[in-house]
Amino acid sequence: MSLSEKMDIIETKSVPSNAMMLFGFPDVGLVGVIAAEHLITELGLTEVAYLDSRLLPPIIVLHEGLPHSPIRVFGNDKLLLAVSETAMPAEVIYPVMHALIDWGKSKKVKLMVSLSGMPAEDRQNLKELKVFAAASSQDLLRSAKDKGVEVLAEGYMVGPQAVLLQHCARLGLPALTLMAQCFFNYPDPEAGAEVLKGLAMVTGIKVDVAKLLEKGEEIRLKARDVMQRTQQEMAKMKKGQELDMPMYVT
Amino acid sequence: MAIRKKQPVRDALDTYFEDLEREFERWRKAFFEKPSWNLKACTLEPLKDVKVTHAEVVVTVDLPLTVESSLQVKPLDDETLEISAKMKRTVHVREFGVTHHKGEFQRFHCHTRVPVPVKMNEMKVKFKKGLLEIHIPRKYKQ
Repeated sequence: MSLSEKMDIIETKSVPSNAMMLFGFPDVGLVGVIAAEHLITELGLTEVAYLDSRLLPPIIVLHEGLPHSPIRVFGNDKLLLAVSETAMPAEVIYPVMHALIDWGKSKKVKLMVSLSGMPAEDRQNLKELKVFAAASSQDLLRSAKDKGVEVLAEGYMVGPQAVLLQHCARLGLPALTLMAQCFFNYPDPEAGAEVLKGLAMVTGIKVDVAKLLEKGEEIRLKARDVMQRTQQEMAKMKKGQELDMPMYVT
Repeated sequence: MAIRKKQPVRDALDTYFEDLEREFERWRKAFFEKPSWNLKACTLEPLKDVKVTHAEVVVTVDLPLTVESSLQVKPLDDETLEISAKMKRTVHVREFGVTHHKGEFQRFHCHTRVPVPVKMNEMKVKFKKGLLEIHIPRKYKQ
């Protein structure tokens, strides 16, 4: 049995074919989740599917008294966006990502893009935040570079975005990870805005980030508990390894 | 000279016990969970982090929506800091979408334990864009 067979993706609306699929999962600075929430609001994306599995902790999210899976896929006719509203336990990252990627493949997704952060040592003193890219293929990487995004040439990647690149490379699916410099342990709306600018450069999906920056302090206030839980999961998956100096092996 | 030769061993032991203490703190947090808010005191507990370098301990605290002039950083003893700050506005529980609790928050409040001996009286505080940074020089045994 493959990892994704233990996960059910239940479609609640018709799902477009040949769409682009984005991922915004809790990670450093909650960059992906903050960016995803802004995209959902700005583009008016609606829920098209959700993920259910006994491998996940017994958690539901209540919205207006009704139960929802914490891991859902939103979308419109061109775009799919997978997002998690709670910290993902380290041990389910593999099956969750495999299930979503395999499902995306069945929907003939043309490109998968993970939105995430990259911890910067002196974040509070950085005036400009850089966005880096890593990709599942050389062509995609070149394309991102040509569009002005810096390439993360060497280093370690830990978390959902690592599984995305690895699994997509294996399946021959085009996948890209965009990472904005951010705080490791604190929600970082500025980094969320930067990763969305990077997304616009690479894919042409443009949203106004002014409102996101305006609401920055409110987001930081409300994201405290999710960040706290995410910190615990990041410690379990050894997220700090991303700051290690790589040992180059040819 | 002899004392110098022993220094690396003592440093290594210090580092070992600091790591052990941080790991214990992580497990304590994971097993003895409590909410990050206190409705009775109208306070929210901010996110915080403690880093130990050879020269100093750096405590950072995320304090969005804080009135800078209200910020208080008070050593309670040789190893504990109390941090408190007033918010720019009252934050109601319902703003989090929660309707089964009633109340509001007006301040951030937390305690932080410093894991190694420090010179509390030489503490320096910076506050920029809602992020508090406290630098405290370490104290080594003579």
